[in-house]
Amino acid sequence: MRALPKHLRPRWRYLGVAVETWPEVAIDRRAFQRAIWDAARGLLGDPGSADCDLTVMRFRFEGAIGRGEAIVRVRREERTRGRAALACVDSVSGHPVGLAVRGTSGTIRACERYLTHCAEPNGETTVRLSGVERPAVRGRAGRLDVRTDEGFVGATELDVDVETEPSDGESENE
Amino acid sequence: MADPHIDADARPENDPCYEAVVPHPEGESTAARFALTAREYGYGGIVFHTGPESEIGPATPSEIENAYETDIVDGIEIDRDSPGSASGAVGNHRSEYTLVLVRGGSRETNRFAAEEPRVDVLTRSMAGRGDVNHVIAKAAARNGVRIEFDFGPVLRTSGGRRVRALSDLRKLRELVNQYDVPYVVSAGARRHLELRAPRELAAVGEVIGFSRDAVRAGLREWGRLAARNRTLQDGSFIEPGVREGRYDEDS
Repeated sequence: MRALPKHLRPRWRYLGVAVETWPEVAIDRRAFQRAIWDAARGLLGDPGSADCDLTVMRFRFEGAIGRGEAIVRVRREERTRGRAALACVDSVSGHPVGLAVRGTSGTIRACERYLTHCAEPNGETTVRLSGVERPAVRGRAGRLDVRTDEGFVGATELDVDVETEPSDGESENE
Repeated sequence: MADPHIDADARPENDPCYEAVVPHPEGESTAARFALTAREYGYGGIVFHTGPESEIGPATPSEIENAYETDIVDGIEIDRDSPGSASGAVGNHRSEYTLVLVRGGSRETNRFAAEEPRVDVLTRSMAGRGDVNHVIAKAAARNGVRIEFDFGPVLRTSGGRRVRALSDLRKLRELVNQYDVPYVVSAGARRHLELRAPRELAAVGEVIGFSRDAVRAGLREWGRLAARNRTLQDGSFIEPGVREGRYDEDS
């Protein structure tokens, strides 16, 4: 089929989206797309969801640290409603996710500058949180996801008093 | 109602947005993690409402403020069944915390909070058996008690529960508009993953019937309230316009 003339083609906006969840959670593109569609249908209904036409164009996810990024397409006239639908994505395949729109662009290429944080430090470490030694996973800018008996606790390096690298043994730096 | 302690000439559209959250141990993220995430999302500050037995930690508020350049406001959320014990708790904690919030959820607590000028915010007034009517709305406006619009159920539930939450928000919004009740907006996050940026919350607000600027105004109100209470609780404050201290150099 011939492509539509330029003035009849839909105009898009591309949203650069950061996705965050707990470590060791695998999220794939299909699950993410499904979560977005469900959120859009839930908030905007079928007609609103069709108007927004939210589509995942790029998706990258680092399961070990539970972080990823995506480019999501939305019809330009519906970008506010599309943004609202994205805000209502609270879990993907049952895993809670945090989602933030880093920026919007008119082209996918320009939108890629909002996707920055995949080269992140990632490593298991041991921290002392509220007096108990616990395993933790490091993230960007001093983030630490600490494993506890009731699941993960989100913390930062400010919260842990003594940090012991597994290889160093007992090195105290307060 | 105009609040005499808030500078009416200040340009409110430039004030930073604030969000109110529940930190660890009640929530799943520490205060520092909330502050770090909130700064990246464009918030200027964050209100932590802790229970009476816990405090902001493990990192101290000043450490967090220095490291993440986010204003930390200490608040307490009083969650009692009867107005009598809530009243006692308000009296006990008023001087210790910058913000005193009372969790609603029953007609009696809602009514008590709205009629108590020492209360800053009435939260989750429509949750559970709670309801707000014109009497409570008028009382809240008269006493300067902010009513909270809780966006949590809109963001994180679906189906019938969300429908009920939306219709509650609508009822509350109509009362707030009718009687010009001061209000705040929050997503009620209990972990950093539940935070959403101000622009996203404003977009959600627009979809569910709030005017374009209403949500941002509600987010800024937390910060204005905190600034007002800090002035009032400052030792040099005597009454509006009167402070203890040196004369201005140029007067």
